[in-house]
Amino acid sequence: MGPLTHIQHVLATGWWVAAAFCLVLYVVLDGADLGAGIFSLFVPDADERGAIMQAMAGTWDANETWLVVAGGVLFGSFPFVYGSVLSYLLVPFVFILWGILTRAVALEFRHLAEPRWKPLTDRAFGLSSLVVTFFGGMAVGAVLHGFPLTDTPDTVPTYVGGAFRFISLFSVWTGIAAVVVVSLAGGLFVRARFEPQERVRQRAAAWTEIVFYLALGAVPISVVLMMVTFPWARQTWFGPDVWLWALIPLAAIGTTFLMRRANRRDRNLAALLWLDATIVIMAAGLIATLWPAIVPGTWTIDSGASREITLLRFYLTLAFLFPVTLMYNWYQIWVFRARVAKLASYHG
Amino acid sequence: MLENTLPVLLARLDFAWITTFHILYPPLTIGLAGMLFVGEALWLRTDDEYWYRLTRFFERLLIVNFAAGVATGVTMEMAFGILYGPFSQAAGPFFGQVLGYETITAFMYEAGFIGLMIFGWGKIGRKMHLFATFNVALSSALSAMWILDANSWMQTPTGVELRNGVFHVTSMAKALLNPDVLYAFPHMLVASYELALALVGAIAAWYILKGRHVAMFRRALRLVILALVVVAPLQVWLGDALGLTVARHQPTVLAAMEGHYDTYNPDGSVNTSWKLLAWPNAQNDGTVWSIEIPHVLSLLETHTWSGKVTGLNAFPADERPPMLIPFYGFRVMVACGLGMVLVAFWGAWLVYRRRLDARGAGTVWFLRAAVAAAALPYLGIWVGWWTREVGRQPWVVFKIMRTAEGVSRMSVTEEILWLGGYMAFELTVWGAVWWYLAKLVRQGPDLDAPIPVFGGADPEPGRAGGAPVRETPKAEWPAAPGGIPASGAR
Repeated sequence: MGPLTHIQHVLATGWWVAAAFCLVLYVVLDGADLGAGIFSLFVPDADERGAIMQAMAGTWDANETWLVVAGGVLFGSFPFVYGSVLSYLLVPFVFILWGILTRAVALEFRHLAEPRWKPLTDRAFGLSSLVVTFFGGMAVGAVLHGFPLTDTPDTVPTYVGGAFRFISLFSVWTGIAAVVVVSLAGGLFVRARFEPQERVRQRAAAWTEIVFYLALGAVPISVVLMMVTFPWARQTWFGPDVWLWALIPLAAIGTTFLMRRANRRDRNLAALLWLDATIVIMAAGLIATLWPAIVPGTWTIDSGASREITLLRFYLTLAFLFPVTLMYNWYQIWVFRARVAKLASYHG
Repeated sequence: MLENTLPVLLARLDFAWITTFHILYPPLTIGLAGMLFVGEALWLRTDDEYWYRLTRFFERLLIVNFAAGVATGVTMEMAFGILYGPFSQAAGPFFGQVLGYETITAFMYEAGFIGLMIFGWGKIGRKMHLFATFNVALSSALSAMWILDANSWMQTPTGVELRNGVFHVTSMAKALLNPDVLYAFPHMLVASYELALALVGAIAAWYILKGRHVAMFRRALRLVILALVVVAPLQVWLGDALGLTVARHQPTVLAAMEGHYDTYNPDGSVNTSWKLLAWPNAQNDGTVWSIEIPHVLSLLETHTWSGKVTGLNAFPADERPPMLIPFYGFRVMVACGLGMVLVAFWGAWLVYRRRLDARGAGTVWFLRAAVAAAALPYLGIWVGWWTREVGRQPWVVFKIMRTAEGVSRMSVTEEILWLGGYMAFELTVWGAVWWYLAKLVRQGPDLDAPIPVFGGADPEPGRAGGAPVRETPKAEWPAAPGGIPASGAR
């Protein structure tokens, strides 16, 4: 494949930012839902579990859709990456997709289920949230390892290397770390979504407290592991711009502190948003570390980009469709902003 | 190249399975969303409570169906990359772009508004709610347009050229407006409306048979019949037009659909025989047995008494699709379409003779037929899609890229585990969907729950289409007009 023209290079960079934006937005929005699902595994009261599901009833599918949009942007603009990365991540993605399938069905059908089936749908909801989170985290870790491609002339390099290459100590750890961080988001989400007198909020407070300290350990360990495992990460971070890179953890520590303060003052939404800010900062740091690679050692923005990207389509999508999508997404969250109570019915 | 090695066959089966169990849901969502929009618009216009009750009842069915559609649909997008990685990479510059537009302009759009539609009752204004319903109907139809466009391009890949293993777009307009999509999309869209009409009609007929809410559903059934009288023949005509497109651009597919192997008879004359039923031989170069009618094939395909139709054997053996599924799939689909036309006109005749309200044996048999007819569009869509996909074989992009070149390098074990897993998950989903749909239908429409007051978001609260509107108290759940307490609310 020939090199990209200058304008295409700029557009490809723009598309990659857009895809990364969708992915991070997915983690932030659906992360809270997934975390609340994991939290629900530890909630003994069936009505409270039902209310947790109800708290996301109006928004979960729009949140989840950002994953599909990220996939769509990747497929459209980076088909070479899309086709090989999903072949590489076959196993984790099968579990993610089965998890998403189960979670959607549990969420939507719980209110119709007979009482004796409700414990089953609740467990399915909680476990599928856990599975999606763990394998999602594992997929991110696995991508950082890179993967081998074929080298046949006149064909697109495609993935070879088997279904289990994604498993490594590092990717297992990123799976665990994802569960911890998302659990924290879930605890804060429950705090923010329930009416103040609800008992489940007390439980969520205790949960948030424990998980916070776990996350405080897990995230730095992930960063250190990344440093130890990947030479490219070391080289980037401790190169000439080391002071610039040091700003990222500093900013993350700052937002973490603000999250704790907001949480102590019982400003639940603010706490959730500060956690989201931390996640966005860390994710931006990760993407910046990879730059200009999409998959380190395997695909860069230029080598992975479709040669068919044009200015007009880029403009149409990013200047028109994205803002409209974000606007109605926001409107929807706004409409469903009211806190919920335990005994609220699902389809009130 | 060995085409039907086990890994390729399994990769096809893997994708066929998830497609088959996804295509069950979106057509109903598309069709029903359109009907809900009409119902709700009529409610706003006439302020007749009837439309509100009917809309809310069928909306509950839509919710169940929609959830299953999303649950099975997320898999579809990712499965292109997982099961058909090399195809996704090669075709991505066009195909991926179309799917990308689908996610942004349709999937996301729909997910945003369906939340508002389902949970927005009483939270947003009446007109805003109608706007949400309209957008659900529009976005779901748009979604079908993009998906059919991508799939049609695989059938008639215009506007691209394959260089160094990658499809380069030479003309975006030609690729988007490829010959197949011009009839394939309308055919699918109308199938969606037909399916929704058939299901609503079946439910209405079931209530009438059971003697429940008879007045309410007799009115609904009459409207469904009138709509089907237009839609069912339209669908047959669109199918025929799509068939002509296939004949012109994909002669191998047509030959497989008709089980037509030999262009000429042994004596040198043109083979004009149309096969009613047939069975292919193991070499796929002739039939073991067949029931044939002379001249019908020429009449159907060339509109002449003995025009020449190219048979499968005129093509190299490794470019012939398997005959069995296209042949029978096509026949069953046509039978389903004609069956719907029959039911529609039977119903229309009863309406015309004012016998739909009677309890005569003829009416009862019609109602039973209307209940059974709900299966026809479902079956028709299934076999139609199978015909389309199997008929295109051995190509994934017709005449340009072979399926065997497009599949990911998966081991047989992995492919079987995928299939087994999805069989378990999606059969469970299917079972759950039918269980809950049946449960909702048994429960019946909620005629007691008060109509929610629409909040301050409406620019002109309490006014719709200039019609005077019943004054409703400002409480969130006021008592119903009849004074029945709101205990019926879920």
